[in-house]
Amino acid sequence: MTYVSNSLLILIGVMSLTFCLGVFAAYFVSFYEFPGVNFFKWALILSFAVPAYIYAYSLTAFFENYGSLHSLLSFLFGEQNYNPYIPKFDGLVGAILSMSFSLFGYVYVLTRASFYHQSHNLIEVSKNLGYSARESFLKIILPSARPAIVAGLALVAMECLADFGTVSFFGISTLTTGIYNSWISFDDLNTANQLSFILLIFIFVLFFVENHSRGDAKYHQPSQGFRQIPRIELTKNKGRLVSLFLSILFFLSFLFPFLQMSYWTIKFPKYFEQIDILALNLNTLTLVILASIALIGFSFLINFGNRISKSKLLDQLSLFSISGYAMPGIILAIAFMTFVSWTSEALETFGIFGIKSVFIGSVLGLIFAYFIRFYSLAFNGIKSSYLKINQSIDESSYLLGYTKFRTFRKIHIPQLKDSIVLIGILIAIEIIKELPMTLILRPFNFDTFATKAHAYASQDLLEGAALPSLFLILWGGLLIFLTSKHILSEK
Amino acid sequence: MPFQNVLQITNVTFVASKNNKVLDFNLTIKNEGDIICLLGPSGIGKTTILRSIAGLQKIVKGKIILKGVTLSSEKRHIEPERRNIALSFQDNSLFPHFTVLENINFGAKRNRKANYEMNAKELIEILHLEGLEGKYPHQISAGEAQRVSLARSLMSKPDLLLLDEPFSNIDQSLKVEVQKNIKKILKEKKITTIMVTHDSYEAYDMADYCGIILSQTMKQYDTPYNVHHTPNSIEVANFLNKGILVDAKVIDDETVEHACLGQIKGHLVNKYPKDTLVKLLIQPEDLEHDDKSKLQLKIVDRKFRGTNFIYTLKTKNEDLIPVFVHSHHIHQHEVEENFGIKTPIYIDHLVCF
Repeated sequence: MTYVSNSLLILIGVMSLTFCLGVFAAYFVSFYEFPGVNFFKWALILSFAVPAYIYAYSLTAFFENYGSLHSLLSFLFGEQNYNPYIPKFDGLVGAILSMSFSLFGYVYVLTRASFYHQSHNLIEVSKNLGYSARESFLKIILPSARPAIVAGLALVAMECLADFGTVSFFGISTLTTGIYNSWISFDDLNTANQLSFILLIFIFVLFFVENHSRGDAKYHQPSQGFRQIPRIELTKNKGRLVSLFLSILFFLSFLFPFLQMSYWTIKFPKYFEQIDILALNLNTLTLVILASIALIGFSFLINFGNRISKSKLLDQLSLFSISGYAMPGIILAIAFMTFVSWTSEALETFGIFGIKSVFIGSVLGLIFAYFIRFYSLAFNGIKSSYLKINQSIDESSYLLGYTKFRTFRKIHIPQLKDSIVLIGILIAIEIIKELPMTLILRPFNFDTFATKAHAYASQDLLEGAALPSLFLILWGGLLIFLTSKHILSEK
Repeated sequence: MPFQNVLQITNVTFVASKNNKVLDFNLTIKNEGDIICLLGPSGIGKTTILRSIAGLQKIVKGKIILKGVTLSSEKRHIEPERRNIALSFQDNSLFPHFTVLENINFGAKRNRKANYEMNAKELIEILHLEGLEGKYPHQISAGEAQRVSLARSLMSKPDLLLLDEPFSNIDQSLKVEVQKNIKKILKEKKITTIMVTHDSYEAYDMADYCGIILSQTMKQYDTPYNVHHTPNSIEVANFLNKGILVDAKVIDDETVEHACLGQIKGHLVNKYPKDTLVKLLIQPEDLEHDDKSKLQLKIVDRKFRGTNFIYTLKTKNEDLIPVFVHSHHIHQHEVEENFGIKTPIYIDHLVCF
């Protein structure tokens, strides 16, 4: 099956690349002092703002025949046909590069967090034991961060397998494109089901690995609170080399797609008239606000219920409900549609009509799907901040005559305010980037930045994809900038 | 009066965990403004008793009635917010997003029917919290947080005030004064209080009545004086006293005899027939020093305790007896020297088991 082999090839490529990029970046930033270290520390997470499919558009836009690189060379060295000399990054290589640069952040963030939570500078310790820098990296640093690296790679792998936008753009037959095509163009539910099944098996293995390693990673807790570990000063030349490496990484992962999209937006201004950018903003905003309210409200309700009832069953139920984030968006969307049509048919026999039209091709249905997908994000976020409020705080409030509801309003909400904002932002980042679910479930003529960019790209009108892509990157980047402190400290 | 007792707890079993229970607990508080201290070693379930009275935990057996209203029984459980009972926690339970003053006032509007007024300013003064009003809980010390918590509980004008080790984090120098001020205000406003502590001096100082809780039951409930001088069991004596138990023989209701100390006069708390062999409780303050006495015992240890010395003396039959001597005592005795005890020995309460 080419579906499986292509998916696996991409997976192997992306995992090797993200491993190298993520671990080295985290290593340098955590242990060494060199020019720009504090800038790179957060600049590298801006890569989260660029989804893989947008990266793919940029890559193609730059290297294609008569693309941006061609224009650049012509500008510098005079008009000529440079096309035969320009490398082409498409197909598997393009997909692997796009995904690696947009996903390496997971490995970087988790690995850095595990280094950060060590109580000593591990390099100093291992040097003291007589290891060279290279030996200590292989024998001490890498093994010490293993659970975090594994967890990061598992997340990368899940995202990579679930990716739809990139592989569909490059026209690669993978599990996700296979599912989509057999479902939409052949209307072949059997093949779609089989492929979904295979994909789900992969995903759940990864989900298990990720959860397991996260548990291990938690044991890295220094005895006397956290403190900034002292960083080792690099010699001038080595420092420059490391700065250069990270600059290239930052350039490739964020600046390159950003500049490419800005360049084309300016170069093809006619799309300002063709695309109703205000509507895209409003649509995205509507989805973000509705989904955030639903997700945060419900997570609050369940967490609060858990807190006041202390019921074991409720606890386990909530554990089950958070596995949704592992589910690839495309499977979720199709499963949701199938389920709705099935229930609506079943209900029609009872004389209840119109269920289908309420949930399919409507904002409501889309919010439902987002809800299932991102529930764990909201739930866990609120849960972890709830755990920081001592139980005796609640009890004190009851004893002072405040009911459970008033305690919630007067004591819980004010204390959880910050994390609500934070979770809202994280949900926003995810929804802005989300493609397959929005694509399948959205109402007719309802577009977000992601679907608009996808629409132009799939018609081979990349220059039209530039404007929505640029907006997507800008919004994502802004929101990441706002939450960078939090993303860097834990997650 | 529509009700007879302020608080009545009948046959209640408190369960904190499998191994941590208090069985068949009975307690009646008759007068408003009484202060009750529950004493016992850590982990015995004292906190559970308070939490159950406050309604934070359910009880499995018995009945709790406050001012004529049944709060808890096997079938009934009134939620804590409807009880008007304040509990001041041992650990810091201040609301982190409120200032000290906001914390103190948080429960102030609760009880409009109370027949007394509480003034936040006055409480801040007597608890020495001046200058902290605008600070947030993370900016103050553990002892200060404990006093704020105390003030917050008082401000809610409770029908019953429960205090869980309320002075445990407060500096020694401030503790005595805070205790005095709190006691004064509790008595003035007639606030009925149950306080849990493991410090017997604190309990004696504050309480009208002390309850001693040992191995899952309330062993003794009496005034501080009686609890100290006439403990009703060996366990209570061991828990409270720094004295020891020695073998003795009963002569009559006013006399016992010890092999080395001779006849000891006093009033036998528990009566025994003549010639019964008993354990006699001897507390450090029971014996008096007298250099000229014929009864001389060898000193095996001496401890300086500030206001007094505690000498440990060894009798012929190997009993080790503690004796207090005022530390201004002109001359001191060294270990291995002999030490005279004034005879005949007279002890007010002869506690024998």
